[in-house]
Amino acid sequence: MKNLFLTLLLALPPAAAAYDRGELAEFNDLYRNGQYEEALEGYKLIIAKEPRNQWAWYNAGNALFRLNRMGPAVYDYARAFLLDPRSQDIRANLDFALRQTGQSLAPEGAPAALHYVYFMLSEAELKALALLLFWLACLAGAAAFLLDGGRGGVSAGRVSLAAALLLAFTAAWLAGRQSSPFSSAGVVTKAGGTRLLSGPGEKFKTYASAPEGRLVRILDTGDEAYYEIGLQKEGIKGWALKNEIEKL
Amino acid sequence: MNFTKRLLAALAALLLAAPAAALLTVTASTDRDSVEINGNLYLTVTVSGDSASVPEPKLPNMQSFNVYSSGRSQSISIINGKITTVVSFTYVLTPRFIGLQAIPSISVFNGKEKAVTNELQVAVTKASQPAAQQPRQPPSQPARQQRPAQPAGTAAGRGEQIFLKAETDKKTAYPGEQIGVSIKFYTSVPLSSNPRYEPPAFKNLISEDLPPVRSGETDIGGSRYAYSEIKAALFALSPGRAEIKAARVIAQIPSEEPIDPFDPNFFQKFMAMSGSQGASREFSTDPITIDIKPLPAGAPAGFGGAVGNYTVTAAADRPDVRAGEAVNFSVTIGGSGNLKAVAAPKFPDLPDFKVFDTMSSLDVKKEGDLISGRKTFTYILVPRSEGRKTIPPIKFAYFDPRSAAYRELQTNPVVLRVEKGGQPARSVNFSQGGAAAPVTASGSDIRYVSDKPGSDSLPYLAASVLALPYWTHSAPAALLLLSFWLARFNRFKLANPLLFRFRRARGEASRDITEAENLIKAGKPDEAVSVLYDSFMDYLSDKCGVKVGALTIRKASGLVKNRFPSASERALEEICELWAALELRHFSPEAAGSEGASDLAKKYSLLLELLEKELK
Repeated sequence: MKNLFLTLLLALPPAAAAYDRGELAEFNDLYRNGQYEEALEGYKLIIAKEPRNQWAWYNAGNALFRLNRMGPAVYDYARAFLLDPRSQDIRANLDFALRQTGQSLAPEGAPAALHYVYFMLSEAELKALALLLFWLACLAGAAAFLLDGGRGGVSAGRVSLAAALLLAFTAAWLAGRQSSPFSSAGVVTKAGGTRLLSGPGEKFKTYASAPEGRLVRILDTGDEAYYEIGLQKEGIKGWALKNEIEKL
Repeated sequence: MNFTKRLLAALAALLLAAPAAALLTVTASTDRDSVEINGNLYLTVTVSGDSASVPEPKLPNMQSFNVYSSGRSQSISIINGKITTVVSFTYVLTPRFIGLQAIPSISVFNGKEKAVTNELQVAVTKASQPAAQQPRQPPSQPARQQRPAQPAGTAAGRGEQIFLKAETDKKTAYPGEQIGVSIKFYTSVPLSSNPRYEPPAFKNLISEDLPPVRSGETDIGGSRYAYSEIKAALFALSPGRAEIKAARVIAQIPSEEPIDPFDPNFFQKFMAMSGSQGASREFSTDPITIDIKPLPAGAPAGFGGAVGNYTVTAAADRPDVRAGEAVNFSVTIGGSGNLKAVAAPKFPDLPDFKVFDTMSSLDVKKEGDLISGRKTFTYILVPRSEGRKTIPPIKFAYFDPRSAAYRELQTNPVVLRVEKGGQPARSVNFSQGGAAAPVTASGSDIRYVSDKPGSDSLPYLAASVLALPYWTHSAPAALLLLSFWLARFNRFKLANPLLFRFRRARGEASRDITEAENLIKAGKPDEAVSVLYDSFMDYLSDKCGVKVGALTIRKASGLVKNRFPSASERALEEICELWAALELRHFSPEAAGSEGASDLAKKYSLLLELLEKELK
């Protein structure tokens, strides 16, 4: 088992620290000097090169927050959070921005520790963990069959069974995360909020509005110009222009 | 030693912290230092604490005053999310004795802390008007200003020396409209003792006392009467019939009957007279019926049942606030009417604010026998974001009984300038602790940008795993299935060895023939014949399923015949011939030449072809 983990760790891509730290620090200097627009442009460049760089998203969120563009700020913080949900800085700023828009990261009354555990791993990490456990369960199971009858076969069988149980747990965790506010979600990024129409088109009636920065659930992406979105708290759904909502 | 020092330090810290935690305070004050015996004064007890609610003071037994509750008002201040509540309880005191009178210490206790006020001194003086200096007959009810007594001509006209009379200031009213009721006890003779008053019961009415008890003298029909008057304000609950039932006074009347010195009970009657005891008599009022009219139709949308004459104002405790910080917003309804029943006006939806608990405070005055005052509804607003935020006008509707019409009022809009950088809109902290906390948060903000390396290893590992083509993940599953099949096959093979020997007999025999031919070519015919002999024995054993050592020509022939009934006689004969030839060549090599080995190999090969067709 130890050997397997060591092998996996050694197999990590050496490009883990791929992007230039000095570049981010350079744009942070602009941020420090209050040149938020310029800093934001720099962070966007890093994001374009390294879309999985959570700190570029986080810093871009900070710049947008300073520019009082709350919707895009929430979106960038949410992207950073989805990449690295364990970061306290990212959590704090996302929660702060959400509270500015009348929301909160953790549901009211939910224990903070439970919420932390629930989001301890990102969705990508959970999927990767499930795949690794699947590989481990299959390989150990194959070894158990090939070493049929021997001590090694029994040990391999136990490893396979344990991996299968962990796989089932991970799958359940992953399924539970599908109901989180960040699953199939989007953020209203249009200044002033977006209108909810009763159908995908201007001929339909506007019957609600979602404020800027509001996390919404995207129910249908089939239309060319409109998303069907749902507001879970209010229990309403409607159609909103795609260019007014950024999909997470 | 170290432990002892730490323990002492901890105890010292606790002792020092205890006074700092004493956040419950109470003060008492009166509106004046001296009062006439027929007047009244207001006692205000102010309790402050650091929680949303503070305890009500416990009034001591006051021998020198009659005490009537008048109202309470509440104010709340919030600093850094911590609440400080100040509640003022107002009491009307009517003095009972002339002289320097003491108001004892008043205490409050919230379950953890206790606070007490200082003792107050009030000088009670004689009444300035001699007419009001009649002995205060103790019907125990509230006090206010003097008003000339109503002529009570009917009873006085009947020549009654003592009577009780109740009157209302109106016979019809609307629900919630104030109805004044006066109950007067007249007497033209001195009483033996203080009379006992039993207030009336009410039907479809609620009562608010109007202290103090008024007393004086008046002429009715040429007779001089002393009177005591108790007033109350009544408010009808619903349209229909309301009723004030009989009030009662029980008094001891000195006997006017002359004592006959020859009466056998002379001494008993004389002692009763000298002991100020007289006949006990009960006086009661007639029930009064009041017609309560329904409120007219056409009430405005915001009408919540308020009846009277009111004004409404709204204000925030400060015009400038930071986002995330709490601001007190108060809506005050003032005027005359049953303020206790006034409901909070509808508060508009404010998407720019988070609105917290509503608190109301009531400050009731009873000047001029009119219930008036103000009721304040306080909302805690926390701005969500910066900018100029306007709280729209708040509407309040009431029914004015004097003009029999509904009135609608609204407050002026209140503008707040919200600056950025305040605390997030979080719940207001109602906890009572934390007084000794050394750190005071004055606001909060987003955390600073990060210059950490781009990504942690774990997300990259996850990304790498997820980047693999999906079909690659079928490989371990295929391997698992293959391993499973192999394991099953091995188990089957171990369980059925003869079946596999039967199947592989031909292959092994062919390999042996090839080996024999190689030996013949190598000039080793004897070894080649040995190989052919052993191979033939093994072949027949595998086909017949018996061990090599147990076979003879006859037995082998019989086994083949039994096991393979379809085998031809020719095949059996050729088996016997080859067997005999191999035995001869194997056991007496001198009898056969080198050509014999090669022939045997060919013959064995041909026989194999034949047997494979027939031994199935």
